[in-house]
Amino acid sequence: MKTPSWLRLSFAFLALLAIAASLPLFAHHSFAAEFDDKKPVKMTGNIVKVEWQNPHIWFYLAVKNADGSTTTWGFAGGAPGQLMRRGITKDQLKIGETIMVEGFRAKDGSNNASGGRVTFPDGRNVLTAGPQDRVPPQSTTSKQ
Amino acid sequence: MNHMRRVTILFAVAFACIPGAHTQTAAPPSPAPGTPRTADGKPDFSGIYQWPTYLPGEERGHSAATTFDRKNFAPLKPRGEPFLEPRTGDPRHDEPRDFCMPAGFPGGILSGNAMQFFQTKNYLVMVHEFQRMTRIIPLDGRPHRQGLEPMYYGDPVGHWDGDTLVVETTNFKRWALDDYYYTNPKEFRMHSDAFRTIEKIRWKSKDALFYELTVDDPKIFAKAWSQEFEIKAKPEWEPVGLYEYVCEENNRCPGGKCEAK
Repeated sequence: MKTPSWLRLSFAFLALLAIAASLPLFAHHSFAAEFDDKKPVKMTGNIVKVEWQNPHIWFYLAVKNADGSTTTWGFAGGAPGQLMRRGITKDQLKIGETIMVEGFRAKDGSNNASGGRVTFPDGRNVLTAGPQDRVPPQSTTSKQ
Repeated sequence: MNHMRRVTILFAVAFACIPGAHTQTAAPPSPAPGTPRTADGKPDFSGIYQWPTYLPGEERGHSAATTFDRKNFAPLKPRGEPFLEPRTGDPRHDEPRDFCMPAGFPGGILSGNAMQFFQTKNYLVMVHEFQRMTRIIPLDGRPHRQGLEPMYYGDPVGHWDGDTLVVETTNFKRWALDDYYYTNPKEFRMHSDAFRTIEKIRWKSKDALFYELTVDDPKIFAKAWSQEFEIKAKPEWEPVGLYEYVCEENNRCPGGKCEAK
């Protein structure tokens, strides 16, 4: 049976939308040099350390592995000033709290990644990326 | 319609489509309604702003495009200095800002951080959060300083053209033009030491500035070219203001070798 032309067009439109959603917002070279946008990561763990410092904040999660062991992962976000003007402050990343982070893994294979978006246990999520950095596509609405 | 008239109209339309062409020859635009003014009647740009962008929209703190669009570029000069610098894989060459070297101008002003402007009768001071870039722009008609070594941020001087502030900056050293947002893995874009910029700044509405940046680099381009941006006023950012920017504090690329902890 021949596929109707409107259906083929719809598939093409959806494919274009999917491609558009996966494109970077505006990555700066530092991001492109350090993180692999082909390797998105989504991890949940307990916050063990926060570095609220320029030029990028870093925060660290203890993430449980399938074998029961724990690995500490580091995540790079935007600059402190960029985040604070969005209402995101250091005290929102509480040591010991469980959060989910979405980003892209470091190119050097280390246990580090960009931390583009953080989701808290109550479902609230915030964009922790800098304006230049890539963020994984999101299907749900983000609210800050 | 005779042939000559058609040709004349075609030329007129083509000229009107050249970026910046009309703005360089037209009379100063009318003042935007509600333009804030200093005691001596000049437009007052004091305030806190978003970085320059040229596409509408802002998504949760993410910028609209904030680099130079290649469609605005003038042709490269035959046998001129290279515009595109091949990347080598060494961050000391490819991205000096990764280990806290200066962004320079205009790369710094295009970074996605807040800016604050302070204006007096004789100066406009632009402070950009990124690398705490500070530009002190004399407005009293003085000429450029002489005998300085070339600089990352150049030597700016300003003058008024009606309600438009025109800032000319010269005396640059050869440096990246806008590399922070130009992510081609093989190359980045440079300006030469003959680089000169002209900025035109005026209020376009009660909450945004018109910002045109002209790139004049006779060692690279056959002629000057311009791009228009918008700078949004962000009075709601006043409570937080600009945060300090001590790049060395958590620099992951000391000596040019980038390492994650």
